[in-house]
Parts: sequence; C-alpha cells; structure tokens
Amino acid sequence: MSSSIYINSKNVFLDTVNSKDYIQLDRVSTIYQALKDSIKKPLKMILLYGKPGTGKSMFLTKLYHDLSSSQIVHIYQTPILDESEFYKILAQDIFSTKYSGELNFTQFMKIVANSDISSIPVVLLDEAQLYSDALMEKIRLISDTRTIKFVITLHKTEKEDLIAKEHFQTRIWETIELENASNAELKIYIQKKLMKANCFDSANMFTTKSVNKIFKLTNGNYRDTNKLLYALFDIYSAYDTNHQLSSVGTTHVSNKLIEMSAIHTGLINA
Amino acid sequence: MLNTRDLEERWLKYKIKSYIPYATIALSSIVIIIVVSIFLNSNKVEKKTTLSPEIKVEKEVQQVKIKTILTKATEAIEKTPPTKEAIQIQKTTVEEVPKTIAIVSQGNSIKRQEASLKLSPSLDFMKKMQHSSLPYYQEESAIEQESRSQIVEEVEELEIEENTDTTVVEEEPKKITIQRRDSADDIRGIIKRFKKNNNPALSLFIAKKYYELGEYHKAYNYALITNEINSDIDASWIVSTKSLVKLNQKDMAIQTLKQYIEDSHSSSAKILLDEIISGKFR
Ligand SMILES: Nc1ncnc2c1ncn2[C@@H]1O[C@H](COP(=O)(O)OP(=O)(O)OP(=O)(O)O)[C@@H](O)[C@H]1O
Ligand SMILES: [Mg+2]
Repeated sequence: MSSSIYINSKNVFLDTVNSKDYIQLDRVSTIYQALKDSIKKPLKMILLYGKPGTGKSMFLTKLYHDLSSSQIVHIYQTPILDESEFYKILAQDIFSTKYSGELNFTQFMKIVANSDISSIPVVLLDEAQLYSDALMEKIRLISDTRTIKFVITLHKTEKEDLIAKEHFQTRIWETIELENASNAELKIYIQKKLMKANCFDSANMFTTKSVNKIFKLTNGNYRDTNKLLYALFDIYSAYDTNHQLSSVGTTHVSNKLIEMSAIHTGLINA
Repeated sequence: MLNTRDLEERWLKYKIKSYIPYATIALSSIVIIIVVSIFLNSNKVEKKTTLSPEIKVEKEVQQVKIKTILTKATEAIEKTPPTKEAIQIQKTTVEEVPKTIAIVSQGNSIKRQEASLKLSPSLDFMKKMQHSSLPYYQEESAIEQESRSQIVEEVEELEIEENTDTTVVEEEPKKITIQRRDSADDIRGIIKRFKKNNNPALSLFIAKKYYELGEYHKAYNYALITNEINSDIDASWIVSTKSLVKLNQKDMAIQTLKQYIEDSHSSSAKILLDEIISGKFR
C-alpha cells in the first residue's frame, strides 16, 4: 500500500457533517422514513434527540438535502440566539421580507398570518439545546399556526431532560431518539465510509474482531469512532514513512495500534 | 507528523498496567496448583503404606472364596444331584424371568461396588466376596467333602464368567432364592464356619452383613472380634466405627478412628473420619 492510502483513509474520518458522506444504516433509515412521513403531518413538531455524536446533525443535513428538491426547506446548523435576529432571519428566508430594525414576536406572527405560501415550509434547527426556553416556547406557538413546520435536534444532557419536560412532552411533539451504533452497524459504518472514498484495502482491514475492539473503546459512538480511526490512520501513515509497517502487518488492523490511537485520543487513560 | 515513539512508550506502560491483575491471578493459581499437588503426593504415599496389610487380607479372602465356591457347588449337587442338569434347569427358569430384573439387580450391585470403591479399596473385594458367597453358606461343610474334584471345574467357570452378561442370566435364579431366604440364616451358617476356623475375613463378613441389616450392636461386636484377630483390616475398623455412630456413640467413634489413623495412616479411615465430623455420615 502506498502511503497516500493511509492519508486518504485518515481523511475519511474527519469530523465533518456533509450530506454526501451520509451512510445508510438499517436502523437509521427506518427512522429516516418515519421522519419523512411525519413531516407531512401538519401539526406535529419533530424533536430529534440523542447523545452527542450519534449523528443528529448528519441526519438533519441529509434530510435537508433530500427535501430541498421537493419543497421549501431551511436549515440552521448554528443556533440564532437573539430572538429578534431569529425572527428577522426566518422572515427573510421564508417570506422574503427584509427588516432593518427590531422584529418582535407579535410582528413576526403578523407576517406568518399574512403568508401566501401554498405549501408549508420546513425549518430545521440543529443544536436546539442552545435556544432559550422563552424562544422555544415562541417556536411552539409559531408551529401551532401550522404555517411553518419545525424539526429540531438537541443533545441529550441533564439540562435537556428539563427542556424535554417543559416543551416537548406535549402532544404536538413527535420525538425520535438516535442512538450509538451496534457492533454490526459500526462495522458497516466503518467499511462503507472507507469504500465510499475508494479505500478498499483499508476497509478490508476491519475484521469483526477489530471492530469489536473498537466498539469496546467507543461504545459505538460515531464521533468517538471517527476520532479513533483518524488517529489510527495517522499512526499507520507515520509507521509507513518510518518503514515500521512490517512490525504490525497490514492485513488486518493491529490491536496495538488501535490501543495507541485510543491513548492518543484519550479514550484510554494512560 | 505524529510522535509514534512517545505513543508507543505510553502504550507499553498501559499494557504492563493492564496485565498486572492477570499476572497476579496466574501467579496465585500456580502457587495453589503447587500446594495441591504436594498435598496429593503426600496422600499417595500414605495409600501405599496402607496397602500392604490389605494384600495379606486379600490372600485370606481368596482362600475363603474358594471354599465358599465349593459350598456353592455342593449345594447345587444336594438339591439336584447331577450338576449339569441343575444348571440347565436354572437356565430355563431364567428365560421366564423378565430380563429387566436381571439387568437392574446387576446394575445395583455394580453401583454399590463403585460406591464402596471410593471409600476404601479393601472394601471392594470384600463386597465381591459377599456377592459370590452370600447365599451358599448355610450348608455345612460335610457335604463339601463329597465330590470336591468333580465340582472344582465348574466353579472355576462360574467365577470367570461372573462379570459377563451371560452369567447375569445364569446367576439370576440364585439371586431370587437369596431374596426368599432369611438373611439371618445366611449369617448363622457363616457364624458356625467362623467358630470353627476363626478366620477374620468371615467375622468381618458377618459384621458387615449385620451392619447392612441394621443390627449395629452385633455388627460392632463382630467388627471388634475381627480387630482382635487382625488389627490391620481397614474395613473392619470402618464397620466398627460406623456401627458406633449408628449407636449414637459418635464421640467414641471419632476417638477410635483417630487412634486407628494414628497407627495405620489409613486414608479410607481418614475420609470416614471427615465425614463423621462434618456430619455427612450419620
Ligand atoms: N449515518 C451516518 N453516515 C455517515 N456519517 C455519520 C453518520 N452518522 C454519524 N456520522 C458521523 O459521525 C459524526 C458525528 O455525527 P453528528 O455530528 O451528526 O453527531 P451529533 O449527534 O450531531 O452530535 P452533537 O450532539 O454533538 O451535535 C459526524 O462527523 C458524521 O460524519
Ligand atoms: Mg450536531
């Protein structure tokens, strides 16, 4: 193998969210279908939640990509924390209404009420745990008018439980939880990811055994797995340039190097 | 580029750390194995020392066996003088007996033998003797002298075949007759014989027989008699202490057994002592 393959493989696991990198996993795709169906239901708001690194942003980006061809959809990956700013951006993006001064909730609701858009636009809000409770309540009220459909993602933290109680456990919310990958899903995830980038030799290095080893360290979390594998291929390319590869072999992933990557990324305390 | 040298060092430290628990487990298990093997070895040496008196007993028992076999045969002669015919008749009756009975009874006796094997090796052949001789003692040796030479051949045959399947069938009718007879009768015959020759194997047999019948006083007495004639028979000491326990004399049983172990280092006695103390044998 040339050294470039390790660098290519390494870059596969950069922690980026890009809809073209989306990997179809069985469990995720059923959730995805359910989500697409519930978008058609007018009243429901959709809450996508799960631990950090379970693929919520990825999911939302993919959804945005798929929906944008057939309907009006807007995605906000970084939260707009100022209330007035939030209304102004929505007014401009959805209703093409430019506002120079402050825009409050009542004014925005007027715009919503006067909307002449035939289909209901979908607004995707990522990282919703950062929005204030007050703004979340306003978002719910906007949603009640059935003129805008919201899909919201948030981290599952202790704080989030509180938010969930206050805002999301009402009937208008449809909640979907994303979870870490299982052993088998993790193997598919790693291999598909590498094969998408034409790193077939690297993909073949991941036997069930080595994936199990990785699973033990990352618990199937996509972000942790990305970090670990990024470090792993970093080490492989370093070994390659130092002509040390023969000591670890290239037919399957070396357990030693997996552990070294785990130490490097802090998954193992050493 | 990544500093793999540093990472390798950290990895090595981590590996060593993670192997520490395994290493301690391995080390301690090795120590345990060594201790156990030393202990087992010392036990083996003890067994060897206890074996020698048993060999003596075995010889005696074999003599008894031959005699009992002779009486066995004479008994058959007495009932139906031409022996060959007698056996043939027995064979035909056997065919009528359901085979399962034969198998079950044989299996039981084998199981009993195994159980006694675990306890002490000397008990094993005593049991064997019991099986072959049990029903035939009641006849007196007067008949025995009648046609010894003629019978010996057949006796030998019977003995060789004893453990094969075909003899199971042949023996079956005899076993049925045992059950019909009174066990006390059997013992009485042997007691008579014992009074004549004072053979400790016979008295031991009587002790065991009484023990089996639940007559622990008599069992104890005969075991004591046996011990007086020959104080080196494990089985005899075992019967006497077992009887003591059954007679609610547990303390005395323990004392006796301890004394005997001190003199003989018998492992079967040790096992019994443990069982009595732990309450496993009651
Ligand atoms: N189905 C998938 N296909 C391809 N990559 C995925 C998939 N799911 C997750 N990932 C990868 O896992 C990483 C983490 O996913 P993502 O950023 O979506 O997690 P998150 O749930 O939004 O985390 P946070 O709560 O911290 O925002 C991303 O870099 C993404 O590339
Ligand atoms: Mg995210």
